[in-house]
Amino acid sequence: MTPNRDFYTGLIATAFFAFVLFVLIPIYVKVPSFIPGFAPPPDMWPRVITVVGLVMGILAILFAIPKMRATANDRVMSIGATMHRNRKLIVRFSGVLIGFAAFAYAMPEIGFVPATILLLAYLFLMTGNYSRKIWMIGLTIVFPILLYLVFTEVTHTPFPEGHLFSAITADFVTLI
Amino acid sequence: MWNELLYAFEAVATLPNFIAMAAGIWGGVIIGAIPGMTGTMAVTLALPFTFYLPPVTSILLLVALYKGSTYGGSISAILIKTPGTASAACTVLDGYPLAQQGKGGKALNMALVSSCIGDFISNISLFFLAMPLAMFALRVGPPEYFMLMAFSLTIVASISGRSLVLGIISACLGLLLATVGEDIYGSFRFAVTEDMKSGLGVVPVLIGLFALPELIKMIVFRPEDNNAAMKLGDNRLTMAEFRGSLKSILRGSVIGVILGAIPGIGPSTAAFFSYSEARRTSKNGDKFGEGELEGVAASESANNGCCGATMIPLLALGVPGDVITGVMLGAFMIHGLTPGPLLFQNNIGEVYSLFIGILFSSVFLFVAGKLTAGAFAKISRIPQTLLLPCILVLCVFGIYSIGASPFDVSVLLVMGVVGFVMMILNIPAAPFLIAFILGPVFEDNMRRSLAISRGDLGVFFHSWISWAFFALTVLFIALTIRREWQKWREKSRNTAQSA
Repeated sequence: MTPNRDFYTGLIATAFFAFVLFVLIPIYVKVPSFIPGFAPPPDMWPRVITVVGLVMGILAILFAIPKMRATANDRVMSIGATMHRNRKLIVRFSGVLIGFAAFAYAMPEIGFVPATILLLAYLFLMTGNYSRKIWMIGLTIVFPILLYLVFTEVTHTPFPEGHLFSAITADFVTLI
Repeated sequence: MWNELLYAFEAVATLPNFIAMAAGIWGGVIIGAIPGMTGTMAVTLALPFTFYLPPVTSILLLVALYKGSTYGGSISAILIKTPGTASAACTVLDGYPLAQQGKGGKALNMALVSSCIGDFISNISLFFLAMPLAMFALRVGPPEYFMLMAFSLTIVASISGRSLVLGIISACLGLLLATVGEDIYGSFRFAVTEDMKSGLGVVPVLIGLFALPELIKMIVFRPEDNNAAMKLGDNRLTMAEFRGSLKSILRGSVIGVILGAIPGIGPSTAAFFSYSEARRTSKNGDKFGEGELEGVAASESANNGCCGATMIPLLALGVPGDVITGVMLGAFMIHGLTPGPLLFQNNIGEVYSLFIGILFSSVFLFVAGKLTAGAFAKISRIPQTLLLPCILVLCVFGIYSIGASPFDVSVLLVMGVVGFVMMILNIPAAPFLIAFILGPVFEDNMRRSLAISRGDLGVFFHSWISWAFFALTVLFIALTIRREWQKWREKSRNTAQSA
């Protein structure tokens, strides 16, 4: 049998909803000692949803089995081999995750605008198409600054300047 | 009524509203013309900006974006054989052959005229049908509303794509995510961090789910940019050509209105249905697919004919007919307006202003299309490698500006990754969105009803309205099961034959 995409989807969904039902709900959904009237407790609805999700996950696995049987045996590929074949894609996806995480971490540290400039430069690099270098460099610098000006002038949003930048500025002011 | 309409006309005919509608139409056409960018994306991207606008101006902007993107999809469909939006897929069939024959401009003009007529007829139907439906629905209380929401959630079945099971899994994810934060009785659920106590914002979740996965997909799979556009060529649409297609335009508009008003069907189905009807009845039916203007007219009038009609169930019952109206439902709620029968009681001024404004937007669509068709053609060639990273940065700025919250930005990025993973696993995003928006309303009404009735489930069946919605829900589920069963049987038969 060749495990297909629906099989893995069902497996992931089943595992996820089981984790929510048996681990997350008991820990993170607190039932108060007093509930007004005869209202159902707060964990009732999340439990209903996760049970339905769990059943659907199992159904997705069951429905995938006939398709897997129909697939020829010579096309069987293990999950390890599938990942090895798609390793480039996995590396790129990991690159996106790292980029997003780095941005979320760096934003309060180095400031909103420098962080978005770095994020934009990183995303342009990740696209792998460098035929329009001038446009990429120009947009990387101009676009976030332009957006910063628009949002600060029009909506008066207080974008974070960054702890690092604030510290340097404070030191500089003290020096003066 | 007429006094109220006159007052609404005065309220709408202001410069800010006209600017919002013009910007919405132009923005929508631009986004719709770019392959890979959808109307849903256009509407969700604009959500953060609507926080700073009055409610009516905001909704008009979003409606204009919806209409603009629906028409915009035809530009890339005709000139580069790539429908900008799913609803324009049918326009490719005759639009691109026309462009190959050097009649791209003519096809674009026909698409514009038929889109505007379809849109106008759809708006008129909204005007006359939404209010009676809402007046009827005014008699609903929490139990009836719960049943109505249950019926609304069955829309998941029709937007699930190829697998109903995966659609329900997606809806469960959306319902579960909607429970994060404080419930109606003050209990916290899944509040892992302090920021999560106030729940997840609708806007970062929606934008993350619909705008970001395309960028991640482009980075991971790196498809080639191949957007060589045809020239506009012959630009004039003659009166004879228009008259020859008028019947198909009117029929397409009516098909669009009827199918648009039924939740879950949407403009793509309307376009294909109208096209097949035009092909069946036209005297040039055998030329369809080789570059027939009537084919473009039939599909474009139907897909734009849905735009106003999908607002009928949204405004009158609070039921989103498709993904875009689902986003609009979120926008209404953000501005303190709750679509449904009470909207017609509590905010009738806003409703009339919306009706008038939507009529104006048809005129804006025509003017925008006429003046800038040539420029729009160039827009469809903007490479996605430049565009999508810039859109992410725009989203980040927009989301941060709503609540000055880095947490919202993190939600946006995480939801982008979740959306991409769902795309890879073939889990449709549309049921997630509908469930995420309707989930809290559904749960609140269920818990309120049970609290009122002291836990008696019979409260859901006390009135004939509840029974009517229950019957509709059961009917819809039964039809869905029948359809899935037929699909499964056909597949099994094909597998047995091939073996």
